[in-house]
Parts: sequence; structure tokens; C-alpha cells
Amino acid sequence: MASLFSGLINWLRSLFWKQEMELTLVGLQNSGKTTLVNVVANGSFTEDMIPTVGFNMRKVTKGAVVMKLWDLGGQARFRSMWERYCRGVNAIVFVLDAADHEKLPAAKAELHQLLEKPQLANIPVLVLGNKNDLPGALTSDQIIEKLYVQPAD
Amino acid sequence: MGKKDEDAGDSGHFYHIDKSTVLQEARAFNETPINARKCRVILTKIVFLLYQSETFHTNEATETFFWITKLFQAQDIPLRQMVYLLIKELSTVADNVFIGTSSLMRDMTGKSDVVYRANAIRALARITDTSTLATIERPLKQFIVDKQPNVSSGALVSSLHLFNANKEAVRRWANEVQEAVNNKGAITQYHALGLLYQIRQHDRMAVIKLVQNYSKGALKSPLAYCMLIRYACKIMEDEEAGSRSLYELLEGWLRHKHDMVVYEAARAICNLRDVSSTELFPAVTALQLMLVNHKTTLRFAAIRTLNKLALTHPAAVFPCNLDMENLITDPNRSVATFAITTLLKTGNEASVDRLMKQITGFMGEISDEFKVIVIEAIRSLCLKFPAKQSLMLNFLSNVLRDEGGYEYKRAIVEAIFDIVHHIPESKEFALSHLCEFIEDCEFNKLAVRILHLLGTEGPKTPKASKYIRYIYNRVILENATVRAAAVTALARFAVQLPELRERVKVLLTRCLDDNEDEVRDRAIMYLRIIENEDLCKRYVANESTFNWASLERNLVHYINDDSAHSQPFDISSTPMTTRDQEIAEKSRAVSAAAELSAPSLRRPSTAGTSTARSGQAASSGDAQAGYAAAIEKIPQLSQLGPLFKSSSPIALTESETEYVVTAVKHIFNQHVVFQFNCRNTLNDQVLEKLNIILKPLDEEDGDALVHETSIPISQLVYDVPGTVYVVYSRPGGACPTATFSSALHFFVKDCDPATGEVDEGEGYEDEYQIEDVELVVADYVLPTYVVDFKRLWEALGEAAEVVETYQLTNVATIKAAVVNLFQVLGMWPCDGSEVVPEKATTHALLMSGVYVGGAKVLSRCRMVIGGEGVTVEVAARSKDESVARTIVDAVGA
Repeated sequence: MASLFSGLINWLRSLFWKQEMELTLVGLQNSGKTTLVNVVANGSFTEDMIPTVGFNMRKVTKGAVVMKLWDLGGQARFRSMWERYCRGVNAIVFVLDAADHEKLPAAKAELHQLLEKPQLANIPVLVLGNKNDLPGALTSDQIIEKLYVQPAD
Repeated sequence: MGKKDEDAGDSGHFYHIDKSTVLQEARAFNETPINARKCRVILTKIVFLLYQSETFHTNEATETFFWITKLFQAQDIPLRQMVYLLIKELSTVADNVFIGTSSLMRDMTGKSDVVYRANAIRALARITDTSTLATIERPLKQFIVDKQPNVSSGALVSSLHLFNANKEAVRRWANEVQEAVNNKGAITQYHALGLLYQIRQHDRMAVIKLVQNYSKGALKSPLAYCMLIRYACKIMEDEEAGSRSLYELLEGWLRHKHDMVVYEAARAICNLRDVSSTELFPAVTALQLMLVNHKTTLRFAAIRTLNKLALTHPAAVFPCNLDMENLITDPNRSVATFAITTLLKTGNEASVDRLMKQITGFMGEISDEFKVIVIEAIRSLCLKFPAKQSLMLNFLSNVLRDEGGYEYKRAIVEAIFDIVHHIPESKEFALSHLCEFIEDCEFNKLAVRILHLLGTEGPKTPKASKYIRYIYNRVILENATVRAAAVTALARFAVQLPELRERVKVLLTRCLDDNEDEVRDRAIMYLRIIENEDLCKRYVANESTFNWASLERNLVHYINDDSAHSQPFDISSTPMTTRDQEIAEKSRAVSAAAELSAPSLRRPSTAGTSTARSGQAASSGDAQAGYAAAIEKIPQLSQLGPLFKSSSPIALTESETEYVVTAVKHIFNQHVVFQFNCRNTLNDQVLEKLNIILKPLDEEDGDALVHETSIPISQLVYDVPGTVYVVYSRPGGACPTATFSSALHFFVKDCDPATGEVDEGEGYEDEYQIEDVELVVADYVLPTYVVDFKRLWEALGEAAEVVETYQLTNVATIKAAVVNLFQVLGMWPCDGSEVVPEKATTHALLMSGVYVGGAKVLSRCRMVIGGEGVTVEVAARSKDESVARTIVDAVGA
């Protein structure tokens, strides 16, 4: 009964108010996180070659949804700080350069380390295979196999 | 509430906050949506805590810092600016602060109408270290030439901060900085000029060009002109005496439309080294105009500068006397005080009476601090015009009776002491004033000092007996400290004046009933001593004391050395200081201190004046004791015997190079020890096995010295000084002069600047050339005081004399020649001959010293200006002719 009631409230709310969502983008350097954010925010692809030092914060409004995007730097020295910006978000997006085979083991290690954090236990993680238009890019099945990630239900 | 809140003062409702509560509140930064108002208050509280010097541990600071970065999602402008403030404050405590880099860069590259771009730039510079500098280099360069003055300023000031750690990188954007000097914002011009100077400061020609270029009126900012003036002065400081390439510019600025620039130029001229009265004239005229300005700050600045100038050039300030007299009634008491003290310095004998009258009315209105300044001025005035001593003493004794704190009373009493010492006629009058003062003196220290003075000076006056009553009154009425001092004073009367002896003995016998041990002990001791002429001579009439620094050192040495305890302490090894010598040292220290404490702005850094020098000499004894103690602790060096002489430290590098090294030379009986004090200014390096390699430039000179050992530094870490010792022996006590090329030799290891953790591995070997070390004749000469130069000079006789005449072409004035001779010979000036009158064309400098080995040597240098430079006839007399020869030759070398 109670769930039915709250469901009703949520449905009413979504009619009048905006939905807020908070996402954190992580992943190794040069996997395309900042570019992805720019595409989502501006709708256009720009080749931005400056590595992110620290993080970028972007707010994107799409219809009734406001997305807060924390785009974190992917260089080794920032990785220990990912967790701080992942706590309490709605979802974590792990961006992967699907065409960079050499970095796959490192990406796998970072991903698993992130998943093991007790603080982030119940937050859904999306692994996003970026740059799949490049020759030699892995397919999603191959990525799953390489990373041993259990696909979400 | 109530009382606590009153104490809180302006901290208002922030009074009750504490760190842990605030840090709890900071969790609000994580909420969505962000409540900007609430967050601003919390940030303000954190800043408040930081400003109250609350310590944040690295963990707390880092945690807080990361919470704050979450606030970048809010668009509220005041909140964003508050965030910047916090980033700047926490950047020094928190870890990983570079996390903010991208966000700040986005803020500063934002649209040009955003108000906080400049703030973002400034915050960014604080979180940038060498590793992230490359990321911000390009935008920073671009912002320097931004049209908006505040953005350009922000970038320039940030670059200034970055310059210290990244000189090379910042130098690359010199062109942009130069362009920014022409920015339309006045303050931006000022900042750009400052940075431009930092970049070019070591290139003399470039700085000269800089000053000349911008002196033509292209700048709007008065502050920028003030900077130019300072740069100009710096250039002229390095110039040889006599030449003044940029003086015209300074003079031109005296007619600038901004008061600030005029004042700065005038002050700069007053501070020029060896400034002549023609050069001073326009500056003093400008300052004189300021004296009648309606702005108090200007009046104050002008009078303060004139006051300082009056110390060295009273005649130049004289034309302002009339204006200054009007300032005595100035509503601002600081201005009035300076006016009076300046007048006291410039006034002539005739105007003293009038001035003193004005001061008397004025004393009641100023605070103790200013009173002390006035008293100091009167003291020097009295020494200048001895004829006015009774007037001055009357004044001093009057103010002595006024209310006042210890410092004030002490200044008065010391002024009277000085007058007593220097003007014998005043003695009786002054002593009777002091006697009256101790009748009702609340400061024990002063009472004791006055009683001591009465004890030493009283017996020498014709009517000595009248003081005894005053002194004995103290015995009856005062506390133990003063009573003890009074007993000693009484005893001195008994010793010096046999006709009073019996009567004093009666008084001393009464003291035997005192209930204080010290008083009784003294009374008993003196009663015994008085009976015996011999004892009198040894203990009372003898006014010599020990050299306190060495006595202390010897005593400590004795106490620490268990094996020495079977013998009583041998005091004869401690040098004695005669009373005259003590007074000489003291008056030197006083005059040096007076010069320093004289309300001075900036002492010209090249103060080649003799006072500064003798001040150094006076303190060098203490420094040497310190060196000796340090050397004794090192086992390899403890066998070298007593230390004969230590030189003053010589800088072998510029003060801002990677490694800073100064050298001190110690002369021992059979050895020379070079002490190198090294400091590593690179925080990412550790130097290991640091040694100094010395190579004599001329093999022959070097042969007389044999290298024995070197004591290297095993590890020199960032900013912690270390010492290398290099020991040479001097076979047969030879005293060679030699020049050594020297270099640091070490193994470099990289380390983490933050933790100081050293990287693994051997490191790499490296050498670092430093300036040559010279061993000169002065190093072998110990400056010593002699009481009567003339008598000693005659006693040695002409047979022991060596004379030589030289032409010193590298000096233009007698003063410069005197400084030069001091440097070369390292002897002690006698009979006040180190003071050279202004514009002297002839002078005789008398000096004394002891050459290593113990030969006393006296020197007389007669100088005359003529030809090119100064002609000097150097005569030296010593029992050991070779020593006299060495001294004379040293001047020619």
C-alpha cells in the first residue's frame, strides 16, 4: 500500500518538478570523458586535447531531467580521489577506450578497485565502451569478457 | 551571556563556534540542491577559524577542501568567490589541492563579463606547483595581456607568486609582462613593473634601461613610480662611490604631481650613500613644503625623514627649523615629538634655551614611548653643548620627579649617567639630583645602579661626605636588594677616603644587625677589607672585570670536564677587561644602538659607516666565543688548542642561489680552520657527502699550508643549515696569505618536496663552483683595545717602526680609505680616530692589534687626498719587526 502511495507521489512530482540526477564519470586518461560530457551538454563533438587536471562540473538539462555530471581527471594521481566524488551519486559511469588494448589491464584493475569500495556498494556502475568506431575496437561482449564484469540485470 | 559576549569584541556571533561543529556543518556542501546562503555562512566560519589561527590537520583540511570543491556546482557568484578564498587559505595545509585546477581554469576562461575571473586566477596560482604549471602557463600568459585591468593584475600577481619556485617558466612570458605595463589600469601597471623587475633584477643594464624608459611619464600609477625610485636607488647603491648616474631622475621626480612620488624621491635622495649637501638641497626643500601640508601623514613622513637626516647632516636640515618649530604645537603628538627631537639635533647653542622651555610644556602631553625619544635627543644634545649641562640637568631632574614607567625613568637616569661620565663639571650637580631621586624611587634596579654610581663617583668629589647620609638612609629604609647595594657603596667611600673611614665603619657595623644574609655578608666582608690596604687594592679599587663571554665559556668547560675538578678553577686564563675598555665598548654599543633605534625608515643597506663597523667589532667577541664552543664539540677539532681569531662570515654565493654558502676563517696556534656554513634551498634535493674542495690558486702561497682533514656533511636536507670544516696546518706558525678556488662536491639525490622522503639509489655526483676564499693578513690580527696609544707608540720607539707610502687609487674619500684600511688590517681603532669629519682632506687613523703568536702591533695611517685617490703613509711599530713589515705590506698588496 505504502509503495503504491509513494509511487503515486513520485509520478505527480515528475509532472510538476524536475528530476535531478547526479552522475560521476571516471576512467583512465584519454578515454573520452570530457569529450562525452561536452557532447551531452552541447550536442556537438569537439576534439579537446587538454587533459583534465582535477575535475569538471557540468549541469545539463534535458527535458525534465537535470543531470549533474562530475567529470574526473583520469591520470594516475587523480584516481585515488575518484571515490570522494562517487559517494552518494545516482550512478557511476566508467568510460573505457575500447580501442586501446594496452591499457585494458590497467582499466580493469581500476574498475575492480572501485567496485570493491564498501562506501560505493549500492551505486549502479555503467561501463561505457567509448571510441567503438575506431578500427580494432572491442565489442561489448568482448569488453565484458575482458573485464569480467557481470552485466546489469 | 553578558560578560563573555563583551569580551568577544568584534567577533560578534562567531564567538561561540568551534572547529568540530563547523566541520560537521560543512556536510551541507554535499546536499542537493545547494543552499548558497547557508553554505556561505559555513565557509565564513571556516575562514574565521583559520584567521583565528585555529590549526587544521592535513586530514581535516583535505577533507574540508574536497567538500568545498563540491560547491563548484552552484552558480551563485558570492558563494563562488567565497570558495576561492577557502581554496587559497587551505592550499597550504590540504593535500592534493591540484584537484581544483580544471574547474578554476574553466572559471577564468569563462565569458568576459564574469566578475570572478581575476579571483579564479589568483586562486589557481596558489594550488599550482611545478608539475601542474605547464597546464596553466598558456592561459596565464594570455591573461597578463587581458584588457581588463583586474584580470591582468590577477595574472601578474599570480606570476609574481609563482616566480619564486619557477623562475625559468615565468621568464618566458617577459614580453607579455612588458606589454602589461602599458595597461590602462594604474594598479596593473604597478604589478607589471614589479614582475618585470623580478624577471630582470640580476641584469643590471636591463634594470637601468627599465628605469630610464618608464621614467619619461608613460605610467599612471604613483606606486609604480615609487618602485622605479627604489630600483634607481638599488642601482646607485652598487655603483662606485662618487658616481650617481640616476640622480637627475630622482631630482625630476621631486616635481611630480603625486605627493607619494615626491616623498619617495626625497627620501631616496636622503638615503643616498655619501650624499652631498648640493644633492640634498632640492630634497630637503621638497620635504620642507610637506611640513606645512594639511595632510597629517605627509607631515609625519616628512618630519620623520628629516629627523633621520639630521643625525648625519644636521646642517642640511637647518633651513627647515622655522617650519619645524611651528610643528611643536601640531595636534598630532607623533609629529610634534619628531619635530622636537629633530630641532634638538639641528639647533645651535643659542636656540637651546628656547627649545627646552617649549619641551617642558610639551612633556606632559605625550606618552612614555615618545618621552624616551625626547630624552635620548636631549642626552645627545647635552653631549654636544656641554655648556648647557646645568640647564639640561635641571630639566632631567624635573622630569625625573614626574610620573612615568620604568623605561622612561631608565632613559632619564642613563642620560644623567652619560652626562656625568662625559662632562666632569656636571658631576656634583648630577649626583645630588640622583641622591634626591633615590629618596623616592620605586624601581629597585635604578636605585641599585644609582647607588653603584654614587659609590664610584662620589668619593672623587670635593664634598664626598654629604652623599653618605643619602646612602645610609637607603640602608635604613629600603628592601634587601637596595640595602646590599648601599652597603657596597658605603664601603667604597671608606676605601677611597681614609679620613671618612672610621665614621663609615660605624655605619657598616650597624649593618651587621640586618636581617638579610646578603647585607650582613657584604658588611662583614667590607669591614675586613677596609682594615687591609692590600685587600682594598685587590677587591675594591681594582675596576677591571673579566671578559664575561670568555669567563662563561671557561666556567662551562670546567664544570663539564670531570677530570679538571681535582684542581681549582684557574681564572687567570680568562682575559681581563679594564674599566676604560668596558666603557669604550659600552659607548660604542650605545651609539650603534642609538643609530639603529633612531626613528629610522630603512637603513641604507650599504652602511659603510664606521659606527656600524665598530658595532660589529664589539659583538665579534661574543660570536667568537660561540664558534669556539661549537668547534670544541667536534672531536677532530678539539685538539687544536685555543682559538686565536675568527673572521666575520663572508658570503661565497649570492643569497638566492640553489646552495647558499658562507665562510668563517678561524686561526689557531698551528692551524687554520675554514668553516663553511651551507644551506640547501632546493626542496626536492638532498645532498649527501657534501665536502668543500679547496685549491690554492698560486701553488707557492699554498705550500705554506698543509691540508690535514676535512669534515664533510653526511646529509644536507632542505633549509637545514650544515657545516663543513676544512683544516690546514701552518707548519712553524707560518702566516701565509693565499687565495683558494673552492667548490662544493656532493652526491645529489632527489626527494619528495612534501614528505622529504629520499629516492632510492646512489644519486649522482656533482660539483658546484663557489667564490674564492681568501686568507688575508687581517685574519691573523686580533683587534685589541689599548688604553693609551700615544704612550705605547712612543715606548716602542722609532727603531721598531716600518713605514711605507702608498697611493690608494680605488677610493675617493678619506672615509672610504678608512673603511678600506679596516678591512685590510683588521685592527682596533684607537682614540676615536675611526671617526672622519665631513669633507676631511687629511686624517690620521690609529689602530692597535695583536698578531698571531702574540706580538702587539700598533699602526698609524696618515692620509691625504691628492692625485688620484688618497695617499696614505702607513707606519707600524711592533717588537717583532717582521710583524710590522707584514702589516705595512698588507696595505700595498
